[in-house]
Amino acid sequence: MKKFTFRGGIHPLHDLHEGKEVTRMQPIKPYVPQSVCIPVNMHIGAPSKSIVAKGDHVLLGQVIAQAMGGIGIPVHASVSGEVTEVAQKQMLGTVPSTCITISNDGLDTWTTLAPLGNVEQAAEDRIIPAIQAAGICGMGGACFPTHVKMSPPADRKIDTIILNGAECETFLTADFRLMVENPGRIVDGLRAAMRAMGVSRGLIGIEDNKPEAISAMQQAAQGRLGVEVKVLKTKYPQGGEKQLITALTKRQVPSGGLPCDVGVVVLNVATAAAIADAVIEGKPLISRVTTVAGAVKDPGNLLLRIGTSFHDAIEACGGYIETPGKIFAGGSMTGNCAPDDSVSMTKANNGIVVLNEKDAALTAESQCIRCGRCIQSCPAYLNPYQMHVTYALGKVDELEKQHVLDCIICGACSYVCPAHRYLTPAFKDAKDLITARRASK
Amino acid sequence: MPKKISLRGTFVNGILAENPTFRLVLGTCPTIAVTTSAINGVGMGLAATFVLIGSNVVISMLRNFIPNKVRIPAFVVVICTFVTMIQLFMQAFMPSLYDALGIFLPLIVVNCIILARAEAYASKNPVLASAVDGLGMGFGFTLAMLLMGSVRELLGNGSIFGLNLLGASFEPALLFILAPGGFLIYGLLLGIINGLGNRRKHNKAIKEVKAA
Amino acid sequence: MTLRVSTGPHILTRENTQTLMLDVLIALAPATAAGIFLFGLRAAWVLCVAVVAAVVSEYAWQKLMKKSVTVHDLSAVVTGLIIGLNMPAGAPLWMPAIGSIAAIILVKQLFGGMGHNFMNPAMVARAFLLASWPARMTTFLLPERLLGSTQASLGVDIISGATPLVSQKLGISSGVPLSDLFLGNIPGSIGEVCKIAILIGFLYMLVVKAISWHVPVFFLGSVALMTWLIGGDPLVALLSGGVLFGAVFMATDYVTNPMLRVGQAVFGIGCGLMVVIIRSWGAYPEGVTYAILFMNCLTPLIDRFISRKVYGMVKKNA
Repeated sequence: MKKFTFRGGIHPLHDLHEGKEVTRMQPIKPYVPQSVCIPVNMHIGAPSKSIVAKGDHVLLGQVIAQAMGGIGIPVHASVSGEVTEVAQKQMLGTVPSTCITISNDGLDTWTTLAPLGNVEQAAEDRIIPAIQAAGICGMGGACFPTHVKMSPPADRKIDTIILNGAECETFLTADFRLMVENPGRIVDGLRAAMRAMGVSRGLIGIEDNKPEAISAMQQAAQGRLGVEVKVLKTKYPQGGEKQLITALTKRQVPSGGLPCDVGVVVLNVATAAAIADAVIEGKPLISRVTTVAGAVKDPGNLLLRIGTSFHDAIEACGGYIETPGKIFAGGSMTGNCAPDDSVSMTKANNGIVVLNEKDAALTAESQCIRCGRCIQSCPAYLNPYQMHVTYALGKVDELEKQHVLDCIICGACSYVCPAHRYLTPAFKDAKDLITARRASK
Repeated sequence: MPKKISLRGTFVNGILAENPTFRLVLGTCPTIAVTTSAINGVGMGLAATFVLIGSNVVISMLRNFIPNKVRIPAFVVVICTFVTMIQLFMQAFMPSLYDALGIFLPLIVVNCIILARAEAYASKNPVLASAVDGLGMGFGFTLAMLLMGSVRELLGNGSIFGLNLLGASFEPALLFILAPGGFLIYGLLLGIINGLGNRRKHNKAIKEVKAA
Repeated sequence: MTLRVSTGPHILTRENTQTLMLDVLIALAPATAAGIFLFGLRAAWVLCVAVVAAVVSEYAWQKLMKKSVTVHDLSAVVTGLIIGLNMPAGAPLWMPAIGSIAAIILVKQLFGGMGHNFMNPAMVARAFLLASWPARMTTFLLPERLLGSTQASLGVDIISGATPLVSQKLGISSGVPLSDLFLGNIPGSIGEVCKIAILIGFLYMLVVKAISWHVPVFFLGSVALMTWLIGGDPLVALLSGGVLFGAVFMATDYVTNPMLRVGQAVFGIGCGLMVVIIRSWGAYPEGVTYAILFMNCLTPLIDRFISRKVYGMVKKNA
């Protein structure tokens, strides 16, 4: 079968099967915690506004925070029970946010749902509002409100929807298990999106280290109008949306632009499944599959309620093997570090990885030897060597000219550097500096 | 307010603080080309010193008469006169040195040191001060040439002033008598001398701060 | 619990500078072994002295200048070994020592240490030694033992000690069979004679991805092409002198190579052309040293003018 790929890229942890060996054959296990603590700012955009107070009784799927503005999304209760606290807490974000703590009464009583019916028959113009009402945002990590992504400006004609089943990050197998166990739902979600946007081509990109997922999805896609499964060569960061679009359609997203500029919309497979749930059953986004891996006794893939604390999720996987040194949300390339294990997992959390103290230790930088591995691995065709030299000299204007804003902060250059230079943190800082400067003008 | 420097200060300035070879980095062409042996280096140094003193004195005497717009050609004429004098003298009385220095003897005319001192000092200062400045600069230049020439001759020929110092079993490194070796030794000496000088200044500044 | 919070990536490659240098050392092992086999114990001594002098001078300098000691990254060992392999087997032991000291201190440490040398240190050492003691550096001994051929089958010029390239320069046909050129039964420096050993090292480095093929292939390719264009024998040109060793081990030094593949190709072609120009019309029988040094100096210029198109530099749709 023809395999698609992009220029550049690396194979992190290749000799350890990208860290997925242990969890890839673990079926999805649902886990319901005793309480959840749901932040209102899980998505990109203005945080939602809490509409509950301490002591309120809420049903499963009830709106507990309303969307702010046309591009916001609501937040729903992921368990039924009593609201025990509405307070500011420090979660994984940069600033503290309002968090609603609900004590689970164990009954899982659903609120009134408004399903639209079969994806092939639901009214097309009601699908996108249903997606907003269900609080769906990009579940691959970015958490951008999906209804906004599916409503591009009128002058952008979309001809393809791509589902991102690459899951190129190390350790993560959540999307893989979802594709193996529930492929029909994913294809349903894709069809709903295609009908809602009037798009006739839907491509599902899956890396070739997931043969079981490829065959499951291919079977589910049989007979579905316009849906095709495409196999991608396993390489990091194949799941980056720009790399995915270029691999499957040969189009390059213009610098500073969006996928809709080249007529494409990219959705994660989990997001597609959530869309299907919202359309077919009217269920809002209240749970997701998360891989718990690393230095835990029983790594696996859990179906977690939104707002479950990392501590509870790790305990559900047997607990820590030894004192943890680092816990991050996501894979080891771009994972977001947690300050402690009381933080909650969110709609975009596809992985919780624990590293022991030895693995979490900081590697010292040594002198750059100009080997050029960073340049060969960059999927954005940048020159990390040159950008890092410029950054060290403090020349921010020069950095802008060297296209540091096009850096997707994938971490490939830092991973592959034999001198372990701190490249990715430098570029992240540079991007923040330049964006702040532009905003202040 | 320009600092009033004593004659002694002017003389020492040319040897240490403003050594033309290692501080001002002037006259590098003859420095590298001629210091293939100690005697050649010293010979060139002394010849240049003679020209320097002579031209400094004459230019200082004429400093109020030479119009500003034609000062460079005027300086060069004066310098040429002295170079011709030393050239004829050497041709007559030191023929082997004359042959060794070759083209670099008449090239003293365009030696940056001489023109630079004429422009920067002699044209603005009285005769005695200019003469002492010429003496100091020339002396500094000669010492630098002596140092470079000795090092290069020692490493590249095993001798200093023709005296074989390192014995017959020493195989000299020919590189140092060639141009690349000249650049190398010049660079290393520049680095060492300026490095030590900077450290001395640094320590002195620290002492001054501590005393204050 | 205290958790570390940092920006990703959180797990890095297990490769580091030391493993890269180790790969180069392994690639040099066949040439080293062949050199010691062919030229005997004195060659081993030359190599030892070169390596030890390089390591000791780097250690001493870093200690003296109160910098952190980095000899464990094995780069001084690699430099020392390459300097040793460039020496004739009969060189007095002080020569590789001086070469190593000059390479490490003058070219590497004075300019800022690892990653900052503007020319290949081993090449500069070779040029330094060649200019300082030309007679010693160009007196090549016959191998003591031969690979696969007997003394009797060697041509007349071999017995007099002139390398095939010297004979070529003098216009005499050296009459050396290709097999001897290939196996190393000719006079030359310790590491450069056994071509098959060098090729094995080259293949190893390609397989473990220590170097990319661009510089050596373009270097050797342009030597062959240019030699053929001026009427010479390209295969003999590739197998004579230090061009194979130079193209594989010396032109591929990371620090002095251009960063992009296209730049590396330009670098290789430049080296190849210079080698043939010096061999044919220059004063020396072998031009590899100066060709590589020349192109090393041009590397910053190549890097400045050769860049690649960043992703997304396309017109935005209206």
